[in-house]
Amino acid sequence: MSHHYIQFTDVHYSYPGGYEALSGVSFRITHGEKVALLGLNGAGKSTLLLHTNGLLLPSKGEVNVGDVPVRKKTLPLVRQTVGMVFQNADDQLFMPTVADDVAFGPRNMGLPSDEVDRRVRRALEAVGASELAARPSFGLSGGQKRAVAIATVLSMEPDILVMDEPTANLDCAARRRLIELLSGFGHTMLVATHDLDMALELCPRAILLSRGRVAADGPTGALLADHQLLRSAGMEL
Amino acid sequence: MSLQSALITLNSLESRRSALRIDSRFQITVTVVYLVAMLSVPLADPGRLVWMAVYPIVMAEASGTGYGRVSLKSLWILPLVVLVGAFNPLLDHSPAWRIGPVTVSMGWVTFLSICLRGLLAMQAVLVLIYSTGFYAICVALGRMGLPSVLTTQLLMVYRYISVLLQEAISMDRARAARGYGRRSYPLRLWATMVGQLLMRSVERSQRIHRAMLARGFNGSMPASTVMRSRGADWCYLLLWTAVCAVLRFVDFSAILGKLL
Repeated sequence: MSHHYIQFTDVHYSYPGGYEALSGVSFRITHGEKVALLGLNGAGKSTLLLHTNGLLLPSKGEVNVGDVPVRKKTLPLVRQTVGMVFQNADDQLFMPTVADDVAFGPRNMGLPSDEVDRRVRRALEAVGASELAARPSFGLSGGQKRAVAIATVLSMEPDILVMDEPTANLDCAARRRLIELLSGFGHTMLVATHDLDMALELCPRAILLSRGRVAADGPTGALLADHQLLRSAGMEL
Repeated sequence: MSLQSALITLNSLESRRSALRIDSRFQITVTVVYLVAMLSVPLADPGRLVWMAVYPIVMAEASGTGYGRVSLKSLWILPLVVLVGAFNPLLDHSPAWRIGPVTVSMGWVTFLSICLRGLLAMQAVLVLIYSTGFYAICVALGRMGLPSVLTTQLLMVYRYISVLLQEAISMDRARAARGYGRRSYPLRLWATMVGQLLMRSVERSQRIHRAMLARGFNGSMPASTVMRSRGADWCYLLLWTAVCAVLRFVDFSAILGKLL
């Protein structure tokens, strides 16, 4: 049994106002794959990501994380398996100090305090932010916040990492550090991004969303070289 | 105070730690003991209340906060307590003190007592928050048996105050950037801005809530560190309980009067 894949099967989702953000999305991301999720604003990328760990549940269709269908009953297991990094790091950091924020997930999992401490140490080491442990989150730079936001998820030791615009609002150096950090992870990864260069460098496969539908799914290089496809989806390289 | 400095003050509360290393539960208990002792002083006896200032003064200085800062901040409560006691001087004209040719009525004495009580209570709470941090207080309250729904609510209110301030700062900057120095706006515009602020804050808080859910939040804040009481904590509690009892039952003003 593997929990390291995500399967979307004919997923539809409509917001309460009636707007259909996802209209029959199907794909499968297998163990260890790094996949970029591309598309214009409003294409449905963030909505799709929120389905991966049950923050939104499909109006129709099914999402599976490994062998586990994403349903209300399975949410604790799913959220332990899928770590989600949100677009705005400030939304993700809400505890008084960096260490408290990184420990938030493991503590919710009911782990003993020495195990929580071990995970906090390891997660902060992994993102190169050990020296920030005692600092309050509000005073960090954009790059540091992003690194800590990733650490808050890594501390839960998820099998799958899902990220929404990880390079947004980062300067060149912070962006480069982040790409190198993510390249070193062995996790199954789904990254929604407008940063096509990063997608090309980090993710061998890309899924192009357009108006809530999968417009293309294939090797990132080939997909980005298809100008006609990009134009039809309203994008350009 | 500008919105920005309010936000910085709020955020800095959690980053500074007291020079005292006392378990938060004991600090809360001492604060409650102090409040009970102080509030039980009869209204007609403001002389004893003055001696009760010993606790906030000593604790503010010992924790490195500084009594000047605490007393200044405590003035925020003054309008409220003045409102509470405002009718006493009008209703109670019985003579209480005679200072030379001036007779002070009991109404004014009780009014003074109410103001002192309000200020001292505020100072005690401020000393607790400054020296412990709001998060640690909420965790300690949870450990002391307060229902988690209550402590979580307190934490969330505290968390979302800064969210509200951040949104207010962003909106104020956007307004100022296109205001060309204009300072007064019609009431209708302010009403619209307050509505917008509320909507933006709700949206932001939903995003934060999602981030919490994604990391296994189940309605109650997880306990942080294991709290173990030490000998120093018990000494702190016993010492301050004894001091509060002495301040409450010994009339130092009368003793001083006799000596002089």
